[in-house]
Amino acid sequence: MKIYQVALKEIGKRKMRTIYTSFGIAVAVSMLISVMITASSGQKEVFNVIARYGHSLTIQPVDTKSGQSLKNFGIGTGSYIPETALPAILEVYQTAIVAGWEKMGALIFQEGTIGGAAFPPPTFAPRLYEETTIKGKDVIVGGVVLEKELIARFWWDIAEGKFMEKDDEVIIGRLFATMTQTKVGDLLDVGSTKMTVTGILRETDSPDDYMVFTSLKTCQTLFNKQGKISMINVRAMCPKCPVGEAAVEINKKVLGVRATSQMEIATAQSQIFQKTTALIVSFVVASLIISCIGVFNIIMGAIHGRMREIGLLKALGASKNQLIRFFMYEAILIGITGGIIGFALGSALSHIVGPILFKDIVIQVTPRFLVIAVLLGTLASIVASIYPALYASKIRITEAFKSL
Amino acid sequence: MMNGTIVDLKEVSKIYPMGELPVSALSKVTMSIKNSEYIAIMGPSGSGKSTLLNILGGVDQPSHGEVYLGGVKIDNLPEKALLSARRKTVSYIFQEARLLSSLTAIENVMLPLAFYSSQKAGSKPRDRAQAMLEKVGLGKRSAHQPHQLSGGEAQRVSIARALMNDPLLVLADEPTGNLDSRTGEEIMGLFQQLNSEGLTIVMVTHDPQKASHARRVIRLKDGEIVEDVINHKFTICEV
Repeated sequence: MKIYQVALKEIGKRKMRTIYTSFGIAVAVSMLISVMITASSGQKEVFNVIARYGHSLTIQPVDTKSGQSLKNFGIGTGSYIPETALPAILEVYQTAIVAGWEKMGALIFQEGTIGGAAFPPPTFAPRLYEETTIKGKDVIVGGVVLEKELIARFWWDIAEGKFMEKDDEVIIGRLFATMTQTKVGDLLDVGSTKMTVTGILRETDSPDDYMVFTSLKTCQTLFNKQGKISMINVRAMCPKCPVGEAAVEINKKVLGVRATSQMEIATAQSQIFQKTTALIVSFVVASLIISCIGVFNIIMGAIHGRMREIGLLKALGASKNQLIRFFMYEAILIGITGGIIGFALGSALSHIVGPILFKDIVIQVTPRFLVIAVLLGTLASIVASIYPALYASKIRITEAFKSL
Repeated sequence: MMNGTIVDLKEVSKIYPMGELPVSALSKVTMSIKNSEYIAIMGPSGSGKSTLLNILGGVDQPSHGEVYLGGVKIDNLPEKALLSARRKTVSYIFQEARLLSSLTAIENVMLPLAFYSSQKAGSKPRDRAQAMLEKVGLGKRSAHQPHQLSGGEAQRVSIARALMNDPLLVLADEPTGNLDSRTGEEIMGLFQQLNSEGLTIVMVTHDPQKASHARRVIRLKDGEIVEDVINHKFTICEV
């Protein structure tokens, strides 16, 4: 007969108490595990986006004219970059990127690869901005190349209807739609042409919400600005591309334009995400501590109810260490049970909460989380049981004898 | 161990500090317990019976005097050494059987092995536990749970448990206190049988009838031994 065998048998006898105690741990562990699974899956989503799209640059004419507030967002009208300049800008960009990689010590075996791994070419998404009045409201019409725009502004999504497909179709921002009471299918007078609204953009908290978009070609034609664009949004399409270097080179070598690097945006997104996750985890750890106190109370109460058993074990020759081990075996089993239940609950919870927090999230539950849950549950149970076990071991045998 | 002496008490006193008026539970008690003795300790409540039993078994330390258990002076031993001396020498039987309800009868008998194993018990523990159950007449009840046993049977299991590690001395505190008189007599008969096989037993009891089965009777009053006699009216249990 070994001490752990006795402990197992005792736990088997007290199934309800074991489950009750385990559940206290399981609730806290499940919260922690659900946060970890959701955060991990969400983080992957963020990293995927960063990996897919990389950092970005905005290229505008130096003398863009507009209200200060819109200018901050890169929206200006009245100054243009000729479309014919695009290949030259692209060449400066590519050369600068390769130089940047070399500066960072990367191995470039052939064009389009870094360290042997291929990376896609950048996406240049040009826009033309023109001011006009629609339904009595001053508004900016944006001409875009849709397939490039959807890569450069990957957060773009249609809330109602669909993206424009023909030259006489437009999509509008949610705010503009609300303010002008425009619906999908309505006709708008853009310049002197009637155009059909095919879709309303999902709100992005950007100037896009109060804009009207049509194809670049249509916009150029409508406003007689053939061959002209107001800005270029450049997506690097690789996670660590040295776009800062590219911005410096473009500003140096291409006269009349100003390139601004936005490489920090994705990194900042990731950092904010990590900080938020850390904050949530700290709250959940606090709840784990609270549940430890609950488990401590349950075990402490149980010890008072088990004085006779403790007395008997002491009378049979149990030493202090053996009694501590006896209670620790119980704590470990309660912790493992709590960890497994917590893992199951946490996984289920992350499947519910994850999709609410992150669009298109793929919840990935790996065995790693089961190991973490069991370790956490066991640790919490042991921490909660240390004092009660020490207390039990220190009960004087003559005191314990009185209960026998 | 000199002359087969298992326990030797010399001028042992036990004083409990109770505020300004300390209470004397035992006063200058001197006594010896020899191998194969069967002793009944009697006395009214508060006479110091339980305190004496605790000191005999090394679970309580005297305030004054010397205690030798199995030839080892234990009155000033550190806790670990005291536990070691106690494990090798003493077993207890309580008023109630106190079996762990999660274990079967045979597992309860083997329970002391979880903490300490004597040479005799160590080699084939289950066989020895079965032999102990047979000795107390419960060989066929080994797989039963405590709730399936009668009070007398449960007490027999606790006696088998006390014998598991081959102790020099068994201390029994009112072992028939919770049993009906017939079952109590059965347990007394078992004690006599074990004593006749050489086991040393010290039993605390209120009941003169139960004490009449012991070969030596010690009476306590106010913490002092007022009588320590050979029981010439020693009776054999007829159950």
